[in-house]
Amino acid sequence: MRRLLIPAALFLLLALLFAYGLLFYPQDSQLPSGDSLEAPSRVHWLGTDNLGIDIFAQVSSGFFHSLSIGLAAAVIAFMLGGALGVAAGYAGGRTDAVVEFLINLFLSVPQLPIMIVIGAFFGQSSLNIICIIAAFSWAPIAKQVRARTMSLRKTRYLILARSYGGGLWYLFRTHMSRDIMPLLLISSLAVTGRAIVQESSLAFLGLSDPLAKSWGLMIARCTGFKGIYFTEFWIWWLLPPVLALVLSVLLLRLFSRALENYWLGKE
Amino acid sequence: MKKSKFISLFLIICVAISLFGGCQSHVNAPAGDAGGEHGVAESSYLVETLKLAGGTDWGVPSPYLNVSRGPGQAKMRLVFASLLEKDETGDVPWLAESWSFEGNEYTFTLFEGQSFHDGEPLTTEDVAFTIDYFREYPPVTNSLGVGDGFIIENYRIVDEYTITITVKEANADTLSNLGSFVILPKHIWEKVADPYTYNVPDCLVGSGAYMCTGYEGATGSYEFTAYAGWVNGQQAAERILFVPVSDELLAFENGEIDIASMPADLADKYMDDPAIGFVEKADDMGYKMLINFERLPEFLDLPLRQGIYAALDRQSIVDNVFRGMGSVGSAGYVPVSSLFYNENVIKYEYDPDAAKELLGEKGFEISLLTDDSADGISIAEIVKINLEAVGMKVTVEAVDSASRDDRINKGDYDFAIVGNGGWGNNPPGYMRTLFSDKSKYLSTSPASMGPRGYSNEEMTELAEAQLKETDFEKRKEMFKELEYMVSEEIPLFVLGNQSSYSMYRIDYYDGWMKTYAYQQAEQNRLSYMAR
Repeated sequence: MRRLLIPAALFLLLALLFAYGLLFYPQDSQLPSGDSLEAPSRVHWLGTDNLGIDIFAQVSSGFFHSLSIGLAAAVIAFMLGGALGVAAGYAGGRTDAVVEFLINLFLSVPQLPIMIVIGAFFGQSSLNIICIIAAFSWAPIAKQVRARTMSLRKTRYLILARSYGGGLWYLFRTHMSRDIMPLLLISSLAVTGRAIVQESSLAFLGLSDPLAKSWGLMIARCTGFKGIYFTEFWIWWLLPPVLALVLSVLLLRLFSRALENYWLGKE
Repeated sequence: MKKSKFISLFLIICVAISLFGGCQSHVNAPAGDAGGEHGVAESSYLVETLKLAGGTDWGVPSPYLNVSRGPGQAKMRLVFASLLEKDETGDVPWLAESWSFEGNEYTFTLFEGQSFHDGEPLTTEDVAFTIDYFREYPPVTNSLGVGDGFIIENYRIVDEYTITITVKEANADTLSNLGSFVILPKHIWEKVADPYTYNVPDCLVGSGAYMCTGYEGATGSYEFTAYAGWVNGQQAAERILFVPVSDELLAFENGEIDIASMPADLADKYMDDPAIGFVEKADDMGYKMLINFERLPEFLDLPLRQGIYAALDRQSIVDNVFRGMGSVGSAGYVPVSSLFYNENVIKYEYDPDAAKELLGEKGFEISLLTDDSADGISIAEIVKINLEAVGMKVTVEAVDSASRDDRINKGDYDFAIVGNGGWGNNPPGYMRTLFSDKSKYLSTSPASMGPRGYSNEEMTELAEAQLKETDFEKRKEMFKELEYMVSEEIPLFVLGNQSSYSMYRIDYYDGWMKTYAYQQAEQNRLSYMAR
């Protein structure tokens, strides 16, 4: 339980800090509020970037930008992976063959190059990024859910319930969800963490809204600054988004691991 | 340290793969002669290799396949020679040893013994063939003009080495135009019916001081090797390499490249270092903003354009993006540091309140196209912030620079930001193509392209008339008058001029130069010659 609470509490703390940055911190994340590349101070906690825009405000806004993209992608992956996994595992036969083929297809293609091509083709927008990430995240979920459903299908209580005429939705709700939901939730949580990294990677490569205040873009803008490694600017311009990215993904991962142990390890 | 090692390793692998491993996929100059009679000379170069930052595909360095931007042209012009070249003060011999002109007749005498990279002799037959060929198939960069604008009336081959070219109308730029078209080998191109798709190795058999011996588009790698059959002087390096680098400055520090641009924030660090030499490029890079008047005809209304100028905080572009190295652009286009600059041009101060008044309550919604470079995006962000502050709605689209150019050429934009070098020294080279309705090159590079959907008779007349003026002082005055007109009429917006320095290690190679007309040391052919 403690293992579960510590990462959750830390993540919450991080979220609260960034929520403060977004809602109450006096500086704007979109407009210049100081001189170019000001060092951290009481006015600008983490200094400013080359255009004089506050870094802490940008990192805070980036947290919710990345998290919302990660959550949106996870929700889509959750629904798609869950539905297809249960359908394939329960129905078997041709449905199963088709879904299994799709799962293998999406698991075997190299993700990043395909994401870059799709991203470049459909243009720069957050919605596209969400769809692309979701498209490449549902397959591992579906694979696990399918396997679990298949083993559940053979249990006596389910066979009995079916013989009394229970439909798929009824069976899922009453007999399967208890086993499948934790699995689905944990997998989706892992997707959120991965999606944040993927969103940052795509943004870094220039495949997101070019002026969005996302961590990947902040990193890209900073590393594109000529001679950045020979100045001190990288300390407050590059490190904050990198640390924010590493920390939030790490905490999410630890949380989902702990949840996995807590829920699934109990059985 | 770990990072730099990783980058070094990556670079070595990249260069090895691109130059030696990837031969199947790229155009390679014929290797048959490379070590033979007309191939690589064995010694006597100042340095073995000159390495520059690559990483961008500037196209096959052939006259028909290079990208129509400075770096693309420069690589092509290493491989293909023209009759004349420019040095610090004026025109100098290149393929032509001497020249003279009288009226409309220009006579050029070639160096004897010059050959193409496959060993075939280069004669006036080839010069004449190239003129006819370019008349029919204009190359990417074309100093001879297109269609009715083709400047050559006819030519007369006097002997193997002497040719007299008659132009339709001699003017101040004629010698420069005749001196700068590149010479093709007749024995190869006479068989080519479609030069725009001709990309077999033969297309790189050139007439220049260097041969292209390696090109890999995907990694932006190029290798040029000194051609031993070059007769006009000696090349400085046996090989010139353009290698992909992840960070130009790190690569320079690690000795992976020999010349790099100096970031403004590190001026103190390098300026005090006696081992480092510099080529200053004053106000050479310029950024302008174009409006596509065909799409947004309401902006043909002058007060709206004045409103846009008043909305733009151009000083913040200089301070924040150029980091102080540069100047707020002159609304007359010619930069402040130029000899042709007119100090009386109208100056538009940053005044958001006046802008709001001029732009009114129309609430324009526009998209702003830019390239995806760090500077391009930063400038676009400032412009967006400025324009939104006065009630416009701006969506920024950032694409790679080749796509941006392509979209501007096609007219697929509302507002667009274009940056290019070459503003510093040579207004005669660009003012006419930007502001004369007759000379707008609507299908080549946006760098020298006039505003789409805008026309102005008076401006056109002046931009064309200066060409016929041979008295330098009078011509300068005409340019100044044109600048004033541009600042008054605002066919486009000048956002700022960036100054920069190329820096190099003096003890390794000290031959980098700028010509009187072009300040980009890395792109001047004489930078690669022993002088």
